[in-house]
Amino acid sequence: MPHSTSAPRLGDLERVVMEHLWEASASGGASFEGATVREVHDRFEGEREIAYTTVMTVLDRLAKKQLVTRERDGRAWRYFPADTREALTAQTMLRTLDDMEVTDRRTALLHFLDGATTDELADIKAALAEIEARAEGDPGTAGSDGRRSMIRRR
Amino acid sequence: MIPFVLAGLAVLLAWVAPGLMARRKDFRRAPRSALVAWQAVSVGGILAALAAAPAAIPLVLDGDDPLRHLGLVLVAVLVSALLIVRLLFAGHDVGTRLRRVRSDHRQLVDIVAQHDERMRILQHPTPTAYCIPGRQSRVVLTQGVLDALPADQLDAVIAHEDAHLRGRHDLLLEFFAVVTRAVPGPLRSEEALGEVRLLVEALADRAAVRRSGEVATARALMTLAGSRTPEAALGVGTTAPVRLRLLADGPPSPVLPVVAYAFATVAATLPLLLLGLAWR
Repeated sequence: MPHSTSAPRLGDLERVVMEHLWEASASGGASFEGATVREVHDRFEGEREIAYTTVMTVLDRLAKKQLVTRERDGRAWRYFPADTREALTAQTMLRTLDDMEVTDRRTALLHFLDGATTDELADIKAALAEIEARAEGDPGTAGSDGRRSMIRRR
Repeated sequence: MIPFVLAGLAVLLAWVAPGLMARRKDFRRAPRSALVAWQAVSVGGILAALAAAPAAIPLVLDGDDPLRHLGLVLVAVLVSALLIVRLLFAGHDVGTRLRRVRSDHRQLVDIVAQHDERMRILQHPTPTAYCIPGRQSRVVLTQGVLDALPADQLDAVIAHEDAHLRGRHDLLLEFFAVVTRAVPGPLRSEEALGEVRLLVEALADRAAVRRSGEVATARALMTLAGSRTPEAALGVGTTAPVRLRLLADGPPSPVLPVVAYAFATVAATLPLLLLGLAWR
């Protein structure tokens, strides 16, 4: 079903943990020395009931997905975000466009539009002009300009 | 005679018909019935291929007891069984790959994107919108598209993506991807998948028009078409000009869907009729 509201708990935690690492790394700047499982766990104190072992599992999964890197520090691991959120976002965008073989990708993700060449833009403009002219002649079908959007703008 | 007709029909439906149908561009104006026709042709092609060998059995037997020609009967069954196995393999191959790509992408999006009630927002300036189909589907928008489009055009885009998800257009595309993969190379027609892709977009555009009107939908297409580098280098045609032309041309004559449905009925049932005739 579209838009399942109950995201799997682990996936939800992965996001929260990544956000924490991004914040910590951004506020720590160059001197950020990574976060241990204990530190990440302490961060959720009083906010969420999360077991220490769960945080460990989540960080382990993130490491497997190569979203975090880790370094040995005595008996513990110190975790770092593999990339900034911006870089990862850019990478996500690229993956929708370039990563897979074309046929696969176009079947896997359904894009609103696949772009247009300069020549095609001329045709597009001509068709748009026709539609607009017809709408002006018949205001009843002109659409719903100014109707409230379904989505909250940011 | 009938087994050869069936074999010919299989080739006709799998190879010749897609090329002819892709050239009948007026059917794009009735995308729903055109999609039914495309599916019927594919299913008909598969059925004809499956029925060809079994249809030959009565011919070989010529009234004899089937047990006396057990070897030949087995060969006929085996030929059809092999075809089914080939289809199943293609289905498994394509399906597994698509599910993995979607699941990987969904997990990544869930982590990096902001969560809105109904969708995910990527903090990226390139205006784009897409959906990740599947059981845990997502509509993904970029900040760029939120900035580029006014409210009614944005609603058109979202209605378009919702239509993909609600109509399970991904299953249609997957079906055609599987059939394309299963057909042997020399007989393979890439036109089916390309045309179905376009028809699915045209169908989703209609949902956008119902939500926001033709003008807003057309303007959204125009804005997003101009904002992205095309894939011309990869030899992939874009759908934008055709879709805007379809919006401009408006609804088709009511005869068109009737013709498409009639054609679909014939294509899907003819192989079974022929098989029935062979065994009469």
